[in-house]
Amino acid sequence: MPTAASADLILLVQKTIDADALVRHVRTGADGAIVTFDGCVRNQSHGRRTLYLEYEAYESMALAKMHEIAADVHAKFPIDRVAIAHRLGRLEIGETSVYIAISAPHRAAAFEACRFAIDTLKRSVPIWKKEYFEDGAVWADGELPPIPQDTQTRKSAS
Amino acid sequence: MPSATPSNVTASIRVKVLFFGRLKEIAGGAEEIVELTSGSRIEELFATFVARQPEFASYRRSVVASRNQEFAAWSTPLDSGDEIAFLPPVSGG
Repeated sequence: MPTAASADLILLVQKTIDADALVRHVRTGADGAIVTFDGCVRNQSHGRRTLYLEYEAYESMALAKMHEIAADVHAKFPIDRVAIAHRLGRLEIGETSVYIAISAPHRAAAFEACRFAIDTLKRSVPIWKKEYFEDGAVWADGELPPIPQDTQTRKSAS
Repeated sequence: MPSATPSNVTASIRVKVLFFGRLKEIAGGAEEIVELTSGSRIEELFATFVARQPEFASYRRSVVASRNQEFAAWSTPLDSGDEIAFLPPVSGG
C-alpha cells in the first residue's frame, strides 16, 4: 500500500541535519530499499577555494515547494515514504546542506525518485547560497524556476 | 500615475514585497509594504523599485516573481494584501 503524503517528513533546519532520523522515518516493514542523497559543502567553486557557505530561504514558499516535490514523487513513482531536510544559515566545508531519504518496496523506484527529488529541488525551491572565499563573497549561480504563462521563456541567468 | 479619474479618487492597493539574495542587499531590507494604483501588475511593482534604485533594472531578466508563494508571470495583476517576492535564480541543494 502506498503511504499517504502525510507520512512524509519535510524540514528546514538551522542546525546539523539528523540524517539517521530521516532514514528511520522512511523505514517501514513494507520497504525493500531506502535510497538517500547527501548534498554537502564542497571546498571549491570554479577553482576558487571556498571558506564556508551561507544559505537563506523564502521559508514558507520553500516548505510549500518541498511538499509539492514529495507529492510529485508519490504521483510519479511507486515509493513509500519521503523525507527531505534542507539546512539554512552558515555551513562549513563537508557539512550536509540537503538530505533526502526515500523508501520503496523495490530499489529502482527509490533510486529514480531520489534523483527526481534532488533535481527538482535544485530547480524550484527558493533557497539561495552565498559562497565565501578568501577574497570576497558571491551569491552562487543558480537556476531560474519556470514561470507560468509568460510570453518569454528563459533559462538560467547569464 | 494615470490621470485622475473624474471622481478625483484613485483606488489603491497595498502589497507586501519580499527580497532575497542579491536583491535584498540592493533593496537594503528584506521586506516592505508598497502602495500601488489598483489594477497594477507585478511588472509595475518591479518598476517602482527600478525607479528608486536603477541597479534593479539589470536584474529584471534574471529574476522570477512569486505571488502568495506561487511562481507568477510578470503580467499577474495584484490584489491588496498580496505577498509578492522577487526571487533570484535559486541555488539550494
